Amino acid sequence: MKNFILAIASFLVTGFMAHAQEVTFQASVDRNQFATGENIKLTITLENASASGGITTPDMGGLVVVQGPMESSNFSSINGRMSRSSSKIWYLTATQPGTFVIGASTARVGGGVMQTDPITIKVTKGASSGGTSAATDQAQKRDANLFCTISLSKDKAYVGEQIIATYTLYSRYNSLQPRDYDLPKLSGFWAEEVDLGSTNWEPALRTVNGLQYRVAVLKKQVLIPLRSGKLTVAPMTLNYLVNPGFFSSGTPVRIQSNTSEVTVVELPPGKPADFIGAVGDLRMDVKTGGTTVKANEAIDLSIRFTGRSNLKLIDAPKLGLPPDFETYDPKISDKITVNGSGMSGTREFQYLLIPRHEGSYELGSLTFSYFDPSSSSYKQLRSEPLTFNVQPGDARSSASAGGPSRMEVQRLGSDIRYIRTGDLALRRQGTHLFGSPIYIVGMVVPPALLLLVFLWHRRREQRLGDQSGQRRRGADKVAKRRLAEAEAALQKEDRSAFHDAVGKALEGYFADKFNLGVSEVNAEMIQTKLGGMDDGRIAKEYIALIREAEMARFAPVESKPQRQTYDEAVAILSRIENQLRR
Amino acid sequence: MMRQLIPIALSLLLPAFAQAGPQQLLEQAQQAYANGDHKHALALYDSVNNQYTSAGLLYNIGNCHSKMNDVPHAILYYERALRLAPGAEDIQANLDLQRAKVVDRVNQLPAFTLGSVWGRLQGGKDVDQWARRSLWACAFMAVAAALAILLRQRILKRVLFGTAALALLLTLFSAGLAAYRVQEVERRSEAIIMTPSVEILGEPRKGSTRLFILHQGTKVKLLKEQDEWQEVRLSSGSVGWLPREAIEVI
Repeated sequence: MKNFILAIASFLVTGFMAHAQEVTFQASVDRNQFATGENIKLTITLENASASGGITTPDMGGLVVVQGPMESSNFSSINGRMSRSSSKIWYLTATQPGTFVIGASTARVGGGVMQTDPITIKVTKGASSGGTSAATDQAQKRDANLFCTISLSKDKAYVGEQIIATYTLYSRYNSLQPRDYDLPKLSGFWAEEVDLGSTNWEPALRTVNGLQYRVAVLKKQVLIPLRSGKLTVAPMTLNYLVNPGFFSSGTPVRIQSNTSEVTVVELPPGKPADFIGAVGDLRMDVKTGGTTVKANEAIDLSIRFTGRSNLKLIDAPKLGLPPDFETYDPKISDKITVNGSGMSGTREFQYLLIPRHEGSYELGSLTFSYFDPSSSSYKQLRSEPLTFNVQPGDARSSASAGGPSRMEVQRLGSDIRYIRTGDLALRRQGTHLFGSPIYIVGMVVPPALLLLVFLWHRRREQRLGDQSGQRRRGADKVAKRRLAEAEAALQKEDRSAFHDAVGKALEGYFADKFNLGVSEVNAEMIQTKLGGMDDGRIAKEYIALIREAEMARFAPVESKPQRQTYDEAVAILSRIENQLRR
Repeated sequence: MMRQLIPIALSLLLPAFAQAGPQQLLEQAQQAYANGDHKHALALYDSVNNQYTSAGLLYNIGNCHSKMNDVPHAILYYERALRLAPGAEDIQANLDLQRAKVVDRVNQLPAFTLGSVWGRLQGGKDVDQWARRSLWACAFMAVAAALAILLRQRILKRVLFGTAALALLLTLFSAGLAAYRVQEVERRSEAIIMTPSVEILGEPRKGSTRLFILHQGTKVKLLKEQDEWQEVRLSSGSVGWLPREAIEVI
């Protein structure tokens, strides 16, 4: 009956608008590329015709039907034109990536058979978090209608390597109203939020173990582990009101996510000296405003790090400038974006250097090391060495206008003193100068030579001393003997012999005493040799005595008695002896 | 007499000829050190040290070890150099720098003041300096005495005799010091710990009571020996036994 009416109606419609009504039969998908775990919508529509026996289900070619078919049909009349269509809708998903072909669907229209074109679908591998990980399975088991997970992009990472944490909510309820939440406190991580904009349901449903969920990513974080070991991300707790309506406030539901763990390993040994904790993939650019400046004028120096790394943790590198440069803390400007793939961008350190004295200063090449987790090795960045030529500055702008500035010598570091160069005064092992043959010879020879000198000198003295010395020492005795002769002559009253003996005694004594020949004895000589004694009296008396002895020998004149002459001679000799002994 | 002296005089000159080889090695070593190739410099210095020694050579070897961060060896060679030349400022400075890296902080008994006076008296000179001084003083004494004998003027004679007597005293004093220094150098009564750490035991036997642990670079005094064991005394006064291969005698 219904068919009959429809047939009449269709006849009428075709009769009226046969020229305008075209019968179409086609299949379409909302997208022909999707990831595993996502859904696509397959719609097969027949327009302006009715299929006897309906639209057949096509061969899905390996895709899994999640929902459907849902049939719908509609009529519309626009400006008096009638149109109608009937369609079937399937939701499909894929369990594994690959290329799938949805086969043709057929419909019997009128006398013939219409057919849709096959559709090729490409399925990519979905995000790991979207799969049915163990964590998701467990969370689903706790409450199949509403659960949340925390998933980490890595379960093993180096200290300082970026990990992305995704906080995801799965729901099968139509309506949810958040009440409050408790996000995990992170310990051992340095966290950076990823800006997701507003939190919205993902457009496509996701299938977890055959159940369909609406999915929302609540939060994404870039986590940078700060220490090694097993670090955990504590579960988050969410409170929702389920299905609130006009009349009911809804049912409160409290859900808790899984606990995520990551094994953080220490960076391998062999850290370069200039490694300050950067992990990732970096590039360094060093730029300067100019290398020739005047003293006391500022130089701009910028060091820019670009790449994917924990950029916000990079500290200003040390420049190693000579202390004649005044340096201020660098200005840090960041262009860092944090997104689902981690932290990346640029961090720039801008230094202001002021050289205080002219000269040529070398700033060695700046080096910066980072750890590349993809190759598990340290990599070093090295800039071109910079040389600053500082020219004399304006006197007015000088730091101290009153002449060259003086400053204390600064100690920059400590190092051992340099090796000794030149002659190291080597000698054979185990030998010393002391006790060596050379030493013994050196110690024996000078005293031996001295002894030789002494012996030689004494012998010479002896040889010389035989004559003069003995004479001198004997002078006294000779004089006494002669005086004894004079004494005898005095007894015999032999005048001539007496005076002869006295004269000889006096002259001989003098000659012997002063080592002179007898002929050399005269008044002058006596005066020179004995003049200093007793204010010249001795010399005077001595000369007088000798004269008298000489004269009395030949002339029979005697100025005084012989006894007196004798006594005077004895007295003067003893006086001279006394004087000489003094 | 002269005939006997000639060979002795020749033996005096011989070391000067024999040094032609090592002098070249020293120059190469100095070059290598200046270029920063401390390993090569060390090898060259060591080859010279096989036959020769001097405070300067030992000091340079110590410097090579310092540059290669081998603290115990650096300390060992600085100590050896200081023993040859007590009070040498550069050696002392470098030794102090290396000692700061030693782990063990042994309570040092305050140095006896005479010790520092002794060091200053040496003035960083070689062990032979007193022997040399005694030779000079001896020669001077002989010359002064000979002049005193030969000259006639009384005042000069007296002054020269006095000088000769002083020179004789100086000769004997220097010779005495030289003898003492040689004996001191040859005594070898101290050692440096070379292994990173070593247990000091109560008895010369494995497994006996552990008294304390010492680390590389610490200086110990040597006491008794028994088999493979050595009794040592720390500067703090503690005494114990350690295996002999853990130390190297200064």
